[in-house]
Amino acid sequence: MTLSEHAERNKEAWTGYAPEYAANAERAWGQEDVTWGVWQIPDAEVHALPDVAGKDVVELGCGTAYISAWLARKGARVTGVDVTPAQLETARAMQAKFDLEFPLVEASAEDVPLPDASFDLAVSEYGASIWADPYLWIPEASRLLRPGGELVFLVNGTILVLCFQEQEIRPDEQLRRPYFGMHRFEWPDDPGVDFHLGYGDWIRLLRANGFEVEDLIELQAPEGAPPHRYEAIAGPEWARKWPSEEIWRARKTG
Amino acid sequence: MNAPDLTEHARKNREFWDGQSAEYDERNARFIERGLAWGLWQIPEAELQVLGDVGSKDVLELGCGAAEWSRSLAGAGARPVGLDNSQVRLDRARAANEAAGVEFSLLHASAEAIPLEDDSFDIVMADWGAPTFADPYLYVPEVARVLRRGGLFAFSGATPLNWLCIDEQTDTYVDRLERPYFGMHRWEAPDGSVEFMLPLGEWIRLFRRSGFLVEDLIEVQPPEGAESTYRTPEETAWARRWPMEQIWKVRRT
Repeated sequence: MTLSEHAERNKEAWTGYAPEYAANAERAWGQEDVTWGVWQIPDAEVHALPDVAGKDVVELGCGTAYISAWLARKGARVTGVDVTPAQLETARAMQAKFDLEFPLVEASAEDVPLPDASFDLAVSEYGASIWADPYLWIPEASRLLRPGGELVFLVNGTILVLCFQEQEIRPDEQLRRPYFGMHRFEWPDDPGVDFHLGYGDWIRLLRANGFEVEDLIELQAPEGAPPHRYEAIAGPEWARKWPSEEIWRARKTG
Repeated sequence: MNAPDLTEHARKNREFWDGQSAEYDERNARFIERGLAWGLWQIPEAELQVLGDVGSKDVLELGCGAAEWSRSLAGAGARPVGLDNSQVRLDRARAANEAAGVEFSLLHASAEAIPLEDDSFDIVMADWGAPTFADPYLYVPEVARVLRRGGLFAFSGATPLNWLCIDEQTDTYVDRLERPYFGMHRWEAPDGSVEFMLPLGEWIRLFRRSGFLVEDLIEVQPPEGAESTYRTPEETAWARRWPMEQIWKVRRT
């Protein structure tokens, strides 16, 4: 398997970030509830995920695999896929520490060495959904899912991407770049490459790959939410007014 | 439908449209009487491919105004019905139909309570019109009711971003978020009309609850130098960068 140029770059970037994520992995793995994004909004509130008990689940861009761990505890048979060996090493260390084993596959979500129609749910949170090219990973997710299977993934808020300030490393209220043509983004002082699409482009891409669009959950920071450590994702004041994170829910037809 | 049955905003919008009908036609009638074309920049249906083949289809136009769309649809072989909340607008439609020698039903009603049978249309469409001035929570279920199974609901209107970026002081589009995204629904315009808009996720949930499948969201980008009687060249330049107008395409399952 050869990696795309941006996958190679992201692998290198995430190898650099891995120690920071390793330091936080134990806290993430230890969490009881399934929550979404930096505001840790409980899934019980937004209902992005189906009942996962007994289901085959693949996490695309799992990183330290805390989402996989949460879903495994709820009875899912999970497989974590990530392109960065250093992140998977942390995931393996956590598996040993928490005595919770599941398969981890080193691969880009753009080209996954797993058989067709082998999963009931594909999930991605701050993983492939942001750092893989949607025009490559969405077809892969479709291939991996069984008919009727579900795809649930979290992306950065589209308006947040438009308003992101490169110098301050956070959004404000100014639209700084055009919406039309959104796809591949490179930022100063950031070695990685990330991907963001407009809403209509997401809908057309999902449908072209055999998905029905079931929901778009725009996450709002809870009232009185304290600042979190990922400053680039918007502070609580911004995220009360505009969506800093968006969850797409789609179902494979057939 | 009798006026007392109207929602408060439908009453306000009826008054607004009765009052501004002549001025609206003065400004826009010539621009929009150009066949099957969508929205602020009159992008041809042949280019956007929203409705597909309309021949022999029963089509309901919501907020038809002077019925430019319905007349063109009749010309393309459809059986249109034009609905509008303003009698003054419908008088315009009737006069234009007579002048063109075209005949179809024109109905005076709000899209929030359509006085027509269940399962009676193959297509319900609106080019701006009613969806801008009626409450989606009321008209989307109504559209689902009057559409046949497999029928198409397609309508254009403003985008959420359009709503976020209007500076009310100067009444111009700015490259700045002027108001919050969460909670958008109803806006009392200074001109006395009441307009409606939902966050995109709210639209999708409302469609699905009402029995629709989401087929497309076309965010209209006007071509460079596109003409419009609705927007200034500066506003069109804004719309070249960010979506100002969108077309939903949803199908009744």
